[in-house]
Amino acid sequence: MNELVLAIELAFWQQTLIKVLVAAVLVPTTALIFGIVFLFKVMSWMQSRMGPQEAGPRGLLQLLADGAKFLQKEDIIPDKADRFVFKAAPVVVLASTFLIYVILPAGPDLIISDLPTGIFFAMAVSSLSVIGVLMAGWSSSNKYALMGGLRAGGQLIAYELPLILAVVGVVIQAGSLSMQDIVLAQANGSMLGFSGVGLPFLITQILGFGIFMVAIQAELTQPPFDMPVAESEVVGGFHVEYTGFRFLFFFLAEFATAFAFAAIAATLFLGGWYVPGIDPDSMLANVVGPIALFVKIMVVAFLIFWFRFTYPRFREDQLQRFAWKYLIPLALVNITITGALVVAL
Amino acid sequence: MSVFAATEVLVAQNIAFGIIAIAIVVAAVRVVTTNNVVHAALWLVVVLGGIAAQYILLAAEFTAIVQVLVYIGAIVVLFLFGIMLTRARLGGENMVNKKMRPAAMVIAVAMFGLMAYSLWDFFGDTELEVMGRSTAELGQTTAQVSDSLFLTYLVPFEVVSVLLLAALTGAIVLARRD
Amino acid sequence: MPKVPGMVKGLGVTFRTMVETLKPSGGPATVQYPHEKEEPAARARGVIALHEENCTSCMLCSRECPDWCIYIEAHKTLAPPRRAGGKPRQVNKLDRFAIDYSLCMYCGICVEVCPFDALFWSPEYEFSEVSIADLLHEKQRLGEWMDTVPEFEPYEAGSEAKGRKVPR
Repeated sequence: MNELVLAIELAFWQQTLIKVLVAAVLVPTTALIFGIVFLFKVMSWMQSRMGPQEAGPRGLLQLLADGAKFLQKEDIIPDKADRFVFKAAPVVVLASTFLIYVILPAGPDLIISDLPTGIFFAMAVSSLSVIGVLMAGWSSSNKYALMGGLRAGGQLIAYELPLILAVVGVVIQAGSLSMQDIVLAQANGSMLGFSGVGLPFLITQILGFGIFMVAIQAELTQPPFDMPVAESEVVGGFHVEYTGFRFLFFFLAEFATAFAFAAIAATLFLGGWYVPGIDPDSMLANVVGPIALFVKIMVVAFLIFWFRFTYPRFREDQLQRFAWKYLIPLALVNITITGALVVAL
Repeated sequence: MSVFAATEVLVAQNIAFGIIAIAIVVAAVRVVTTNNVVHAALWLVVVLGGIAAQYILLAAEFTAIVQVLVYIGAIVVLFLFGIMLTRARLGGENMVNKKMRPAAMVIAVAMFGLMAYSLWDFFGDTELEVMGRSTAELGQTTAQVSDSLFLTYLVPFEVVSVLLLAALTGAIVLARRD
Repeated sequence: MPKVPGMVKGLGVTFRTMVETLKPSGGPATVQYPHEKEEPAARARGVIALHEENCTSCMLCSRECPDWCIYIEAHKTLAPPRRAGGKPRQVNKLDRFAIDYSLCMYCGICVEVCPFDALFWSPEYEFSEVSIADLLHEKQRLGEWMDTVPEFEPYEAGSEAKGRKVPR
C-alpha cells in the first residue's frame, strides 16, 4: 500500500498538482462517457432507435460536438437575476462533483486522497450541490426555476437520509469509513468459508444496495424522480434560465456525479477495484484495478440508466411518501440486522 | 501523502488559519448586514464552510465533515428552503428589521467578551503543546470520538436524542390543524 | 403465485426493446432519414398540387383556408364559344395561384372544397428550403407537383358512384 506508483518521490505540491490535473481531466471525461454510452446510445436502443450516427464513427463524437455548440452560445443572464449568485451556482454544483472524486479508489495506490472518513466525506460533499441548485433556482428570477429549486431541495434532503443509512450497513460490516478499507474488507472476506473470490457486500447487503440505488436515482434527479427538472411541469426547473457554458456546467455535473455515485456503489457493494485472484497489495492490482472498477461502474450505471429510461415520473407526494415511509424504515431495519449480526457473529 | 499529515505546526498552517479566519469574520459580518435574506443564508454557508476548513487545519477531520454534512448540507438548505417558500425577493429588501441592531450589537459584544474572558482565564499565557499527527493516527481520532460518544457519554447522548424527538413531536403538534 | 409487478414488467419491456434493436434480425423502428427514406402512405398529405386547367378562380379554397395562405389573382377574358355560332364565353383567366407552405397547416380543406378537381394531395414531402420565402410555391411549381399525385384507388366492387380520375 505504501509503495508509490511513481518511482520518484515528488514534493507535496507536485503531487497535489498532478492530482488536481487528473481530477480535472477525469470529471469531464467520465461525464462524456456516460452521456454518450447511456444518454445517447442505450436510451436510443431502449426506444428502438439507433441514436446519433453522423458525428464521428457511429456518432460517438456527437456529445463533443454538442459541447462545442454550448461553448459558442451566448451567455445570457436574465435582467432581474441576482448576477453574482446566478454566476456562482453552476460552479458550486460542479465543485461538489469534483470533491466526490477525491475519495474514489481505482487501485491500491490510485486514489487522490484516502481519507480515513472517505465514504462519509463523499456523502457530505455530495449534499453541497443542493446549495448550488437552490442558488440557481432562486437567482434566476423565474417562477419555474424557483419551483424546480424548491422541489430539488425537498427531494435531495429527503433522499440523502436513505442514502447515508444504506451506506451505514456496509460501514458496519467493513468496520471502516475509508474507501480502501472497505475494498480490502471485501477482498479479504470469505463466503461461507470459501475465501477465493472475497465477499462483495452485495451479497450480504442486498437490501442496502437496493435502497442505495433508489436513493442515488433521486439524488441525481433522474426519472422517475425528476420532478425538479421536469420539462412538462417546470420547463427544466432550476436551470431553465441557463445557457451556454453555464448550462454545460450543470450537464457535466449531472453526469459526472452519476459516474461518481456509480463508482461509490461499485466500491461499496461490488468490491471496487478488487479482482478475485489478484493480490490486492501487488503492483498488478494498480493496473487491473481501474479496468475492473470501470467495468463494475458500467454495470451499476446500466442499472441506474435502465431505471431512468423505463419509469415515468412520480408525483411529488408519492416521492416524499416513498422516501419517508418505505426507504428510511427499511434502511433502519437493515442497519439493526447488520449491527446485530456483526455483534453476534 | 495526506493533507492532514503534518508533523509540526507549520508557518503555512498559520497563514492558512489567518486567511480563513479573516474570510469567516467578513462573511459573518455580511450575514447580519446584508439586506437580502437569501444572501444572508449564503454568507452563512461561507462562515460554516470556513469553520469546517479550520477544523481540518486542527486535524479534526471527522468534525469538519459533520460540520459540512449537518450545517451546510442540511440546516442551511432548510433555511434557504424556508426563505424561498415564504419571502424570497430578489434585490435589496427594506423589510429587514433594523430597529433591533443596537441591542444585537450589545449582546454580540457581551458574548464576545464573555468567551474571550473564559478562554483567557482558562489558558492564560500557557503555551499549548504541539500535537503532530500522522494519517494513521487521524483515523484513530474518529475512533476516539465514537468511543467517547458511545461509551463515556452514552447516557447524555441518548438523552439529547430524546430531547430532539420531543422537539420534533412538538413541531408536528403545532403544525397540525386538527 | 402473485403476478409479476408492473414495475418489473416495464424493465423487461425496455430491455427486450434494446436487445431487439441491437439484433441483426431486429433493428430499430426508425430509419436513418437522409440515407434511407421511408415510403409514405399512398394518400399521405405531403404537398398540394394544382391542375391549372381545372381552376376557375372561384376563390373557394382561398376563402376557406384557415390560414389564408392561398393567393389567387385572375382577370376576366373571353373564350371561344362551345358551339359554332354561339356567343363567346366569359371565363376567368388565372394570373397567379400561390400557396405559402410556411403558413399552410396541411388541413386539406382547400382540396375538399374545390368544386372542379383542381387541387390534389401529393405524398411528396421533401420541399424544405433554406430561405422561408422560397416556401411560397407559385402556380408553375404547384403544377409540377401534379406529376407526383398518385391515381385514386377504385371504389369498392358494387359501388354505384363513378371512380375519380386524376386529370393529367
